Amino acid sequence: MTALLKLALWIVILQVAVLSQNTSYQQDPNWLAPSNAASRANPLAQRPEAVAGGQKLFHRNCVECHGDDGSGLVKKHAADLRLPIVQQQTDGTLFWKITNGNPDRGMPSFSKLPELQRWQIVLYLRSLKASSESRAKQN
Amino acid sequence: MRRLAVAFFLLILGMGVGMAQESPYIVTYDHHLEEPGNLEIETYTTMGIPRSNQSFYAAPWMEIEYGVTGRWTSEFYLEGQGTAGDSAVFTGWRWENRCRPLKREHWINPVLYLEYENTSEASRIQKEIVGGAPDVESPNSDLQSTKNHELEGKLILSSTVHDWNIAGNFITEKNLSRGEGFEFGYAVGFSRPLATLASGASCRFCRENFIAGVEFYGGLGSTEDGVSVHDTAHYVAPVLSWQVSENASIHFSPGIALTGQGSPVLIRFGYSYEVRGFGSKLSQWLGGKH
Repeated sequence: MTALLKLALWIVILQVAVLSQNTSYQQDPNWLAPSNAASRANPLAQRPEAVAGGQKLFHRNCVECHGDDGSGLVKKHAADLRLPIVQQQTDGTLFWKITNGNPDRGMPSFSKLPELQRWQIVLYLRSLKASSESRAKQN
Repeated sequence: MRRLAVAFFLLILGMGVGMAQESPYIVTYDHHLEEPGNLEIETYTTMGIPRSNQSFYAAPWMEIEYGVTGRWTSEFYLEGQGTAGDSAVFTGWRWENRCRPLKREHWINPVLYLEYENTSEASRIQKEIVGGAPDVESPNSDLQSTKNHELEGKLILSSTVHDWNIAGNFITEKNLSRGEGFEFGYAVGFSRPLATLASGASCRFCRENFIAGVEFYGGLGSTEDGVSVHDTAHYVAPVLSWQVSENASIHFSPGIALTGQGSPVLIRFGYSYEVRGFGSKLSQWLGGKH
């Protein structure tokens, strides 16, 4: 019994050590939203008051890898969400990426969040671009 | 072993915590796996309200769930039970693995589940019900001496439809210790958050922090006694989960028996606590790069 417990513990530790390594972040050329998903409009686009909720959701679900300001943590190989390569993507594309994730590259699926909450996160991602631009102007 | 346990808890204390929307189900599985590198520590209890010839029991269990990759979650259980007027016993351990074969979200999302159980007949957590009904009448001294090595497989099918989660599990279990046949069971669940738009305020009692639903579960007989619902236990159980803080949630579910088998009421409740970034911290601790 004790031997079996030790064996199970070592197997879990080996899983952790070997399989939880993330690969270096690179824009995955195969992570493409289908055209019908990419063309979807954000139903909250005309509701700027929903950004605050999006910020709260971002801090709960995204900062672990993307950082407080969305700049992306190097050790997590996570994207800088303020970059044009991200901000030029359509709302529908960002929504699709949040929904599906890219599990083989370390980005989990957030389909467990209600649809409107995922759109709130997209809304907040757009505000990261604005705040990053205003900071650049001030500098 | 003691040093390892101390290091484990120090690791948890020094770690950032985060929140994810937790599934409210206690028996049914949906297709959402643990996020990679996150560790979830959960403790649950099943309390059986007795019929006239039964005794009250409480069966607590602890789960340690880890997101190995984005498509693979591994979970380790320790369980026990105490019966009024009888005894309290450790009933064994389980190791389960869930794997998502498909990379993207689909209309129906399959997950494959495989579990090894090393438990005694005294196990009463009833994390799933297979075959007929669990023996909740025999004394622990009789049940505890019978050890079971079992393999359990589940096909989990789960779908998100307009913010409703609909999940169905088909369960099959084989006892490797004895020449029993295969036992079968099922679990089906429906759930939805009470609010789908997040408020800007940081609040504990906001509707968005609650998910409500209902699950049905029961046995479907065995290849030995015949695959049917005759003489099997079936329950209907409302479920409610409450995200009480950024990293913790509480779950509650009263299960009502639909047949005369097993306990007439199963009260289940639990607490889960999520630790983000556990994998990278542990990897650092073991001398890895991350």
